[in-house]
Amino acid sequence: MKYFEPTSIDEAVAILAREDDARCVSGGATLVAMMNADLLSPSTLVGLRRVSGIEGITKNQQGLRIGAMTTHATIAKSGLFVAGMNVINRAANQIAHPPIRNMGTIGGSISHADPAADFPTALIAANASIEVSGMDGQRLIPADEFFLGYYETAVAENEFVTAILVPKGPENAVGEHVKVTRVDGDFATVSVSLVLAFNENQCSYARIAVGAVAATPLHLDEADAVLTDSALTDEDIDNAAALLVKASDPIDDVRGSANYRRALIPRLLKRAVSLLKTDA
Amino acid sequence: MSMPNTAVGHDVPRIDGREKATGAAAFIDDMSLPGMLYGAMVFSDYAHARILSYDTSEALKLPGVKAVITGDDFDAVLGGVFLKDEPPIAMGKVRYLGEPVAAVAATDLKTARLAAQLINIEYEALPNVLSVDEALDPKSTLIHEDLSDYFRLKPSSFEGNILWKASISEGDVDQVWSDCDVIVEGEFQTQAQHHLYMEPCGALAKPEQNGGITIWSSCQSVFIVQQKVADYLQMPMAKVRSLVPHVGGGFGGKGGLHIQTLVAKLAMTCSRPVKMTLTRTEDFEIVRSRHPIRIRMKTGAKNDGTLIAREIDMVLDGGAYADESPAVLNWAVFVARGPYNIPNVRSNGQLVYTNKLRAGPYRGFGNPQVTLAGETQIDEIAQKLDMDGFKLRQLNAVKTNDAWIGGQNIDACGFDACMTGMLEATAGAEAEAAAASTSNKRRGIGYSALTHMCGIQSTSAEVHLRADGSVALVTGVVDIGQGSNTILSQIVADSLAIPVERVSFAAPDTDSSPYNWKTAASRTTYMSGRSVLGAAVNVREQLFTHAGEMLECAEHDLELREGGFVGVKGVADAQLSFAQIAGRAMACVGGPIAGTDTLVFDGPTLDPKRAIVDGFAFTNVGIYTFGMQAVEVEVDTDTGEVKVLRVWSAHDVGRAINPAMVDGQVHGGVVQGLGLALTEEMVWGENGNLINPTLMDYKIPGILDVPDFIQSIIIEAAEPTGPYGAKGMAENSLVGIPAAVSNAIANACGVRLRSLPFTSERVLRALDAAGK
Repeated sequence: MKYFEPTSIDEAVAILAREDDARCVSGGATLVAMMNADLLSPSTLVGLRRVSGIEGITKNQQGLRIGAMTTHATIAKSGLFVAGMNVINRAANQIAHPPIRNMGTIGGSISHADPAADFPTALIAANASIEVSGMDGQRLIPADEFFLGYYETAVAENEFVTAILVPKGPENAVGEHVKVTRVDGDFATVSVSLVLAFNENQCSYARIAVGAVAATPLHLDEADAVLTDSALTDEDIDNAAALLVKASDPIDDVRGSANYRRALIPRLLKRAVSLLKTDA
Repeated sequence: MSMPNTAVGHDVPRIDGREKATGAAAFIDDMSLPGMLYGAMVFSDYAHARILSYDTSEALKLPGVKAVITGDDFDAVLGGVFLKDEPPIAMGKVRYLGEPVAAVAATDLKTARLAAQLINIEYEALPNVLSVDEALDPKSTLIHEDLSDYFRLKPSSFEGNILWKASISEGDVDQVWSDCDVIVEGEFQTQAQHHLYMEPCGALAKPEQNGGITIWSSCQSVFIVQQKVADYLQMPMAKVRSLVPHVGGGFGGKGGLHIQTLVAKLAMTCSRPVKMTLTRTEDFEIVRSRHPIRIRMKTGAKNDGTLIAREIDMVLDGGAYADESPAVLNWAVFVARGPYNIPNVRSNGQLVYTNKLRAGPYRGFGNPQVTLAGETQIDEIAQKLDMDGFKLRQLNAVKTNDAWIGGQNIDACGFDACMTGMLEATAGAEAEAAAASTSNKRRGIGYSALTHMCGIQSTSAEVHLRADGSVALVTGVVDIGQGSNTILSQIVADSLAIPVERVSFAAPDTDSSPYNWKTAASRTTYMSGRSVLGAAVNVREQLFTHAGEMLECAEHDLELREGGFVGVKGVADAQLSFAQIAGRAMACVGGPIAGTDTLVFDGPTLDPKRAIVDGFAFTNVGIYTFGMQAVEVEVDTDTGEVKVLRVWSAHDVGRAINPAMVDGQVHGGVVQGLGLALTEEMVWGENGNLINPTLMDYKIPGILDVPDFIQSIIIEAAEPTGPYGAKGMAENSLVGIPAAVSNAIANACGVRLRSLPFTSERVLRALDAAGK
């Protein structure tokens, strides 16, 4: 196996283009575990830790730019996530265990595209875009269009994720990420990322993403619309959840049956709403 | 005589604590020898199939490959404890998916694994028998066609895929049901739990010039390894030396062999040392599990709460080989009555083969499963009678000098003290739980009484006095992480009034250690503690004989003094150091001072006039132990999630030799019990493939799932035969946890679960079914 440590995005992209079967490794939290389990054996690894300009969180006019190499722990501790963007650090704070949060990076996590992971739903709920770099420069992919299937993304061969751009939500928006797991640190049986804004007791903005109930995170504009401008009664939540349940396609596995996963969608949505109502 | 109390009863730090905490302690995988090769295995792709042929030619051509072995390379020897049914490696057929079929030794691990993939094995598939119901069906395919020819240590009934039946009865259950004012009945199902010791199994073998073999392995007994490997390889035990470095946990899973025979055979085949350690996945697939048991239980009582009848029918899923399952069956059948005086009891058990990984001994030995059923029914009866569960338990509890089922006398019973201790510790807790409950977060407290045993089999120990007055303790005891090296050293130190630092502990070695059966059955403190104390007292007697002669006084005028001295009572400056006495013994009179002791557990056995017993694998049980546990849970009625908030665990330990280590055992057992109760389950697919052989898919409690509050309540009802009154307690803290969790869930939200584990999905399903 060959190993490279490029220092720039251009150099990294050139290596990806040149070498067959090359994989990027950032924190290694998932990729190295999969290699150890003989699930993957790439012939070339491109270590991203020396690439400049792809680590750290910076504030800009529109919101935040999160470098792909930023660790879960850095995101979890950051105070920059305001106006609904905090759904991302709420999710970061709940990923696996502290050692994994210290190793793992947001770019690595979303590139792996496990539908039970925490960042994919959070990025969709935050309406984020993913910046990928390739031979032709950079392009932005909306989070909604980034995840294509189990472990499959819109990142083309020879491209890699360099940043996540998060737009500020409404000024008073708040985000929450909730999940059911078998034990602490497990992948979610079902997760819900939610961003809401309130105007008095009315919901003025809503964006819901559900994880681990389909091959990709589940987001429906119609479900958001049911909550938006509603009073967030149990009936409103059930109606929004019913749409999500209908669109879901969960599997049976050791974490739970498809039926249980469907049953959790309205219940977790209620939990998230209730936590945000308490916060607001 | 001054009362030496240097060690026993104190929180003496572990003698190997520093090296373990710093990572200096070596385990099998840390070991290496010059010229050492690495082993890898080929695992069966079928759950049940005939082996038609092996083709090892491609593997042998691979550079670096030094040996390939298959079933053809072994004598046709079957091993086993109670039933000899297991070959050293698959021979003729495979009986579970993952069963080792061939093994390779090569110069590096990668080559060994690659070579294993190049071995081609031709199979003829046979119908799989995966469930207990399939196994009980007389028409099902036989997993062991030669069952009737197998060596059987004790007589028992068997037929088809049922390899063993056991039962015990007292009184006349059939006649008394009509006298019962209340009867509860239920069916319970438990799951396969993996032992999940931190260190996966491994072994390193080195061929010796004399034609023998030295084996280091992660094990619970060097002597069991020696005996079984010698048997499989048809070598005299004198040519098989078994050693053990530090062991990272066992819990029963390392109580028998794992890969020692294969590693030894590889090493002998290529005349080079060979090491093999299992990956976590391999360990899941080929070692052992706890028995899934289907239990039907019926219990009856009078209106005043007197229990008068209990009937139990259980089927244990033993997997592909018998291993220690007949004994687990025996104990489960025997202990299912529980710690209550119930005059009419019938307990029947059947043990079946299935095409899955063998089940084997696991902390609790069948008891947590039957305690789940028994303690659920105690709560259900209390509820029906509108009686306090504690009162019902106290009313029926066995007491000192009561007879156990089968007739054995209970010489020391701290059961009532455990219940009293628990009542005090949990005072107000139920009211707190009720007050903290909300509409969708229901809190509740559940209790479980428990009984277990400690003892069985034999052990021996030596204590040698060294020139400076230090002592060397030599036992065959393997400390598997529970701390017995420290406990046994404390006993020697205390009985000779010297600091623990002046006691050396010899690593077990079959060439030089006195025999000890194994680290199992909560027996080390009780059994080895007795022999270690006996050997130390023997040394003390010799010290006194010498001192009497040297000081020219009667032995009864002598006393032991703190720090390693023998002095004349009442005369402060008339004393001799152990070093002075050792010097005399070594150079002039009598020879070096050494104490030995040897013993076998020979307590009372079953009384045939009292009980009708059939098919018991062992009848000389040990000393009974008692406990009471309580768990507080919070059930999220929206999702079914169960959070454990507090655990109280009261155990009669006879005497706590090291209270901090008693607490440590309690904490460990409670957490392992919570895994059994809530999350752990090995799941097999329809082809007999284990679906979740990784720590990603098989879940033990994480640190944030473990409650901050686990209170260990130590009760000391001294056991007359125990060292310093001590009894075993290692398994006990696991035994009542599933039952206590079940009772807590019922208390919190009114639903009763009977299938382990109580996953959030099962809890939610029960809540939905109950309309709650």
